[in-house]
Amino acid sequence: MTSKPCPATDRPWQSESAKPFIRIRNVTKKFGPVAAVDDVSLDIYKGELFCLLGGSGSGKSTLLRMLAGFEEPTAGSIEIDGQDMAHVPAYERPTNMMFQSYALFPHMSVERNVAYGLYRDNVAKGEIKQRVADMLDLVQLSGYERRKPNQLSGGQRQRVALARALIKRPKLLLLDEPLGALDKKLREETQFELVTIQETLGVTFIVVTHDQEEAMTLSTRIGVMNNGRIEQVGEPREIYEFPGNRFVADFIGSVNMFEGVVTENEADFVRIKSKDGDCDIYVSHGVGCAPNQKLWYALRPEKMEISRERPDQKENFFEGIVEDIAYMGNQSAYRIRLKSGKIVRLTRTNRDRGEETPITWDETVFVSWGPSAGVVLIA
Amino acid sequence: MSETAQQDRVRPWRFADWFVRHGRMLVIGLPMLWLMIFFLAPFFVVFKISVSELAIARPPYLPLTSWEDGKLILTLNLGNFQYLIEDSLYVSSYLTSIRIAFFSTIFALLLGYPMAYVIARSTGHRRNILLMLVMLPFWTSFLLRVYAWIGILKANGVINNFLMWTGVIDSPIVMMQTDFATYVGIVYTYLPFMILPLYANLAKLDTTLLEASSDLGARPLTTFLTITLPLSIPGIVAGSMLVFIPAIGEFVVPTLLGGPDTLMIGRVLWSEFFNNRDWPVASAVAMAMLVLLVLPVMWLRRAQSQQEAG
Repeated sequence: MTSKPCPATDRPWQSESAKPFIRIRNVTKKFGPVAAVDDVSLDIYKGELFCLLGGSGSGKSTLLRMLAGFEEPTAGSIEIDGQDMAHVPAYERPTNMMFQSYALFPHMSVERNVAYGLYRDNVAKGEIKQRVADMLDLVQLSGYERRKPNQLSGGQRQRVALARALIKRPKLLLLDEPLGALDKKLREETQFELVTIQETLGVTFIVVTHDQEEAMTLSTRIGVMNNGRIEQVGEPREIYEFPGNRFVADFIGSVNMFEGVVTENEADFVRIKSKDGDCDIYVSHGVGCAPNQKLWYALRPEKMEISRERPDQKENFFEGIVEDIAYMGNQSAYRIRLKSGKIVRLTRTNRDRGEETPITWDETVFVSWGPSAGVVLIA
Repeated sequence: MSETAQQDRVRPWRFADWFVRHGRMLVIGLPMLWLMIFFLAPFFVVFKISVSELAIARPPYLPLTSWEDGKLILTLNLGNFQYLIEDSLYVSSYLTSIRIAFFSTIFALLLGYPMAYVIARSTGHRRNILLMLVMLPFWTSFLLRVYAWIGILKANGVINNFLMWTGVIDSPIVMMQTDFATYVGIVYTYLPFMILPLYANLAKLDTTLLEASSDLGARPLTTFLTITLPLSIPGIVAGSMLVFIPAIGEFVVPTLLGGPDTLMIGRVLWSEFFNNRDWPVASAVAMAMLVLLVLPVMWLRRAQSQQEAG
């Protein structure tokens, strides 16, 4: 799945005048002396599918729970649709949540579970029946009305949980690891369904996940969290191609990181000296940094070339020995040991069938890349 | 692998094989034997006495069988049971027992549920201390604890002295030897039996269910009524049975705290047995009580297992 075509008008975060639907301002949540969420500010716009991505203990779930109203921020404010959420209990918020464990009521049938929110709002019986039927239709669970949660498979429970969270037509749907408990194949199918449902209903989704692939495929934007802080917010492509710091570069996808020092710093290029190779790293854009500053050059494995011959260029190549090759069908992954001892990971698409003399173990090779292949990171 | 080789491999395990096949019987057999000796046998003895005739003898009843003119005569005296129905004393004391046990169970539930809830919701150290406090009374004799209540409830006891000292009342309130004192005694005695199963049930309640309920718009009271309460029914049933069943046959509390008109079946049984030395009627009272208790318990258990299966 690719991220959906996103015309510029559909990117309210790029427009100065757009009003955010959710405003998180300097929110901090402390449990004892530990700040689970540390001074987070974030704007999320209507109709977005926003992913909070981070490892365990990064504070992403705590932030979600504060949006749902299960936790009160220690400091800062949360605004949903222009309304300040301070001291608004969970049962009065225009949000609904899909729990990681699904939290289906075990003593109620599928129908009762889904209808629960409507009963709480005293919706007329006939309308409840209709809306539950429509919702079960949407999540493809018609015919399962009378089943109890323990009579359903994992995927079916997940859809009941989704239906129950959507039935009240919330302004904001919070999803805590929505696909975490499903196996890989089911997860991929469900990703499609989730995006389809989100587009059909036009509800704003905030998804918490630790799975970077899931975040990339689902979301309009990703917020990468670490240690209670937001490291970077951006569209999936932006996060992947232009990571803001080493944590983000390393967390999303795999990356080769070369430490180096700036030797030449001009407006339209920089030259970096790294102890990992004999020649310089040349970057074809300027970097705002001090001379002789220590920095890192991040290079994705698929953005490099591998060859037996020394490349015809003065910079941007390292010499090494092939230590390991993994053939994965569509591509091959190489682990190349540089003279400095550093291991470089590189992938190459297997374009030709029956290559005559493929590069093999223990061969001396050169890895090379273009002047705009990598990212210079200061932090 | 050839067939013979496979057989050779199996042979040394013959005993294990036998054990696997019949071990189940062994495992079930031991408790069965225990129950036969210590429950079923005495039960039949009591049953036998309940259908025998009273006699001034030792033991104070006639044997069921006699030998006359080459005929074996089995005499079943159902008069004892008939007597239970005819004399209103027994019926009314059964009813009193049921009434007192029933309301004691309700009171214990109303008191015990919030306590169990708080214990289940507290964490770590606090929870352990609270559980300890619930179980602490068991460390002293039951009889001693009921005696202590006499000191609290009597005319010049702790409560009356305090109320008179503060000037709320002029003359002591009569609490001893009333139904009220019996209720206090029974609820006090059996409260832990209500709290512990309820606590065990409430402690394993998934708190995300409560969050989910709140998230879907339910106020705390609604969440309690629609989620917590229905899910704790097994705990309520278990606790109520543990209070109701012993309370029905309770003898010590009504004797020590209750008045002369607090006629509970345990007391009647005692006086029938020791004061009147009418073992057959006493046994009939016991049998009737057993039937009275076992039938609803069996019905409840069936309903419960059906609910779990359904």
